Amino acid sequence: MDALSGGKIRSVARQVGSEVWKLGSTVAESFVGSGFIGSRRALTKENSALTQQIAQMQERVAACRVLEDENKALRDMLRVAGVERGPARESGITAPIVSSFRSSPYGTFQVGAGSADSVSPGNIVLSAENFVIGRVEEVDLHTALVREIFAPNVSSDALLRGVGVTVEGRGGGNARTSVPRQTDVAVGDTIISPVLRARAIGIIGKVSEDSGSAYKRINIYLPVNLLSLQFVYIVKN
Amino acid sequence: MRPLLAIFGMLSAIFAPPWVTIICMGLLAFRYPAWEVLFIGLLTDFLWMPAGFLHPMPIFTISALVLVWGLEPLRREFLFS
Repeated sequence: MDALSGGKIRSVARQVGSEVWKLGSTVAESFVGSGFIGSRRALTKENSALTQQIAQMQERVAACRVLEDENKALRDMLRVAGVERGPARESGITAPIVSSFRSSPYGTFQVGAGSADSVSPGNIVLSAENFVIGRVEEVDLHTALVREIFAPNVSSDALLRGVGVTVEGRGGGNARTSVPRQTDVAVGDTIISPVLRARAIGIIGKVSEDSGSAYKRINIYLPVNLLSLQFVYIVKN
Repeated sequence: MRPLLAIFGMLSAIFAPPWVTIICMGLLAFRYPAWEVLFIGLLTDFLWMPAGFLHPMPIFTISALVLVWGLEPLRREFLFS
C-alpha cells in the first residue's frame, strides 16, 4: 500500500508523528516547568544534570583520545606521504532531533532536516564531539530518518587498535564485538570505522576473557547520552 | 475502555518504548476483535522502519495481523466476545 503510494503514507505518518512529538515535549516541558511536581522535579533535574555531566566528561576524555590518535595518524600520514593534505572539504548542517530516541523498535530516530536542506541517504550523523551516531536512511522534504550506528542487529566494520573487527549493534548506543585473545585492548580504547571516513563510533566499556575461549568479548558504548541530545550534525556527502 | 486503549497505543507508538505499544496491542486484541491494533502496528512501522522490501521485517504489522486474525479462533473459543 505504502509502496504503491510512493512512500507518501509513510511520509505523512512521520510528519504527523514528529509534530505530535514536538507538541508533547512542549506540553511536558511546560508541565514540569510549572512547579506542579516541585520536589520530584528537583530530584529529577539533579539526577539528569549529574548523568549529563558524567556523560560529557566521558565524552571529553574519549574525544581527547580520538584527537590524540588522529594527531598521531596524521603525523604518520604526513611522514609517509610527504605532502600536506588540505582541509577536508565537506559541508554539513546542524539539525534538531524531532522524535523520541527510545520509541523505535528498529534503532531509528528522526531529525528536522530533509531533502530541502540537501540531506541525502547515506549522510553521516555526528554528535557534538564528533562521534558517529548513525546514518541517514530515508529523506522526506523537511525530515529525515536516521538509523543508529549501534541499532539492534546492525553490523559495522571497524578498527580497534589496528585490528579489523565486526561490531554488532545491540541498541541504545551499545554494541558487542570479539577480538583474538592475544590482541592488546583496554577499557577506554576508541573504535574507529574506516567506512565512515575513519571517525570514532564508540569506546570500549568492558573486556571479558574466558580461559577456554580464543577470543576476548568486548562491550562497546557510545559516550553520548542519546536521550538528552537535542541537535546533531549531518555531514553531507 | 477500547477507545482509550487505542489512543494510548497510538501515542505510545510516538512517545513510549516499543514494549508499551505491544502491550497495548495485546490488551486490545485480548478483549476485542479490534482493527485498531492493525492501525497501531502499521503506524509504528511507518514511523520507525526504514523502507525496504521485508528488510527489516515489519514486526509490528506482522504482530498486529497475528493478534487480530491469528488469535481470532482462540478469542472466540475462550475469551470474551
